[in-house]
Amino acid sequence: MYVRLFAGIWLLLCAALAVVAWGFQAPFAYDPVGPRAYPLLLLSLMGAGALWLLVKPHGEPTPPINWTLVRKIALCIATLLAYALLFEPLGFIVSTALAGFVLGVLFTGRPLACAISGVLMGILLYGLFDYLLDIPLPRGVLLFLEG
Amino acid sequence: METLNFLAQGFDVALRPVNLLVALFGAFVGTVVGLLPGLGPINGVAILLPLAFALGLPPETALILLAAVYLGCEYGGRISAILLNVPGDAAAIMTTLDGYPLARQGKGGIALSLSAVSSFIGSTVATCGVVLFAPLLAQWAVAFGPAEYFVLMVFAIACLGGMVGDKPVKTLMSALIGLGLATVGVDATTGVYRFTFDSVSLSDGIQFVIVVIGLFSVSEILLMLENTHHGQQAVKASGRMLFNFKEFCLTIWTTLRSAVAGFVIGTLPGAGATIASAVTYMSEKRMAGSSGRFGEGDLRGVAAPEAANNASACGSLIPMLTLGVPGSGTTAVMIGALTLYNITPGPLLFEQQPDVVWGLIASLFIGNVILLVMNIPLVGLFARMLSVPNWILVPAITVVSLVGVYAVHSTTFDLVLMIGLGVFGYLLRKLDFPLSSLILGFVLGEMMEDNLRRALSISNGELSILWTSPITLALWALVVLMLALPGIRWLRARQKKAKLAHA
Repeated sequence: MYVRLFAGIWLLLCAALAVVAWGFQAPFAYDPVGPRAYPLLLLSLMGAGALWLLVKPHGEPTPPINWTLVRKIALCIATLLAYALLFEPLGFIVSTALAGFVLGVLFTGRPLACAISGVLMGILLYGLFDYLLDIPLPRGVLLFLEG
Repeated sequence: METLNFLAQGFDVALRPVNLLVALFGAFVGTVVGLLPGLGPINGVAILLPLAFALGLPPETALILLAAVYLGCEYGGRISAILLNVPGDAAAIMTTLDGYPLARQGKGGIALSLSAVSSFIGSTVATCGVVLFAPLLAQWAVAFGPAEYFVLMVFAIACLGGMVGDKPVKTLMSALIGLGLATVGVDATTGVYRFTFDSVSLSDGIQFVIVVIGLFSVSEILLMLENTHHGQQAVKASGRMLFNFKEFCLTIWTTLRSAVAGFVIGTLPGAGATIASAVTYMSEKRMAGSSGRFGEGDLRGVAAPEAANNASACGSLIPMLTLGVPGSGTTAVMIGALTLYNITPGPLLFEQQPDVVWGLIASLFIGNVILLVMNIPLVGLFARMLSVPNWILVPAITVVSLVGVYAVHSTTFDLVLMIGLGVFGYLLRKLDFPLSSLILGFVLGEMMEDNLRRALSISNGELSILWTSPITLALWALVVLMLALPGIRWLRARQKKAKLAHA
């Protein structure tokens, strides 16, 4: 069932993208193919595949949705997104400590232990990447460390 | 003779202190990543690739690192398979069948040391195969024109559909998704922006590193949320740690046979270590007949898949080095690594970058020795790593992945894109779409379009150039065969069912 749903959405997406791809026109003809034929070929093949799955999704029984798991996954995605968005403004150390803590708790760690491991990870990995491996990382709110 | 000279030159490169150190580090990390359930070679290579690039390692060193991780993973996968009954990576599934019973019988130490030797023999045999056959194939492949290349890539993708087994449509779909993702960005020939939706960050395409880390690391993290079977006790490897001569003699022929078979399977595009270990386990079981105790703890049942999966890991480097067409998901990532360095993999690699190619091959020999030496005495240490809890492991993977992506462009956009791709990859995995074919498609995408358009430019738009030369004709025949395979298999299964119904 889920496969069928996915295939349906994918088919619509292919159609929408094909409309977008139709507009790819080069002002001059540099080569006989042009920029539009290849993406259109891929999209039509993909559309055919999606159609096949829509018709014959190979009827595996639809398992019931495990809502606790879904909630956990949504939380995890939200944490990762927050980490990504706060990575630059807060800087590596602070954002990593926070993300390390929240992810640790999500993966059934004890809060205190996760807090300690998060902070340690932020500081130690910063040292490893920035000083030893020379990969520049954002300092963010801890900018005063610069001097 | 010339080959030996090149090999000597390769050893010269591989024995440089930096490269030795990198091989040692890669072998260690690879073993650890391999033994952690859920994380396989592709994850290890994906996490380390951006770091290697950001560190400014020269291309041969970066490739040596990745190859050492790749090999190390194949070694590491067996440890959790034997002690925990959980395969560390997909290729070690077959090792659990006999490895875990052996460990329960108190022969865990023997199984571990013997399988380390099998792994060693497997990769050494296969590396010799690479030395012998890769230059020949490269010489032959120089004659390939754009049309031949295009058809070759079609063949590689068709192989995936034919080999990966029970879900050809989904496999081909994910390859197509990968090919599609590769079209994002400015078109190299005409300068037209495609699927960028006016975003500046997408104008030079989706970075390879972001796709790999998003699809493999982020989706893995989400998948790990479901695993609640932690706290499983590993069987202590007690008793005799080393195998004796008799046990060695029992398994040596199995090991050699499986090594050769694994090498051959590994060189085929699309068929990887997982298929190699399954095929050799089954055939050894059949050959042993009633004298074997396969499934209850036969040493040959550990030796065969371990020799095969290491051999196929090395064998899959052949299509990657000589044709620039990856044989497995992991080599696809390595090709991506080469393109990051502006090195185009393909037959000319042997002439233009002998340091890279032969350094890599020589480092396989060295890495193997390192791994063997590391794996027999340090098995206890590695086994203890199995008890690292997820609440430390997952944040660590997250941070390293994020830093890897950030190191490429230093933009928040890339980080968000990575997470978006990760969620997409997670959904695909839940729906049973194989991600390794997606990454294969993504790596091949640009080359495929390029070669198609170049071929058609040569012929002035005449499509027949794609099937007039004998090489292209032969390849198309193989493509048809590969695409027909699942259908043939399906028909056979139905006949068998019908027969059973009659009986």
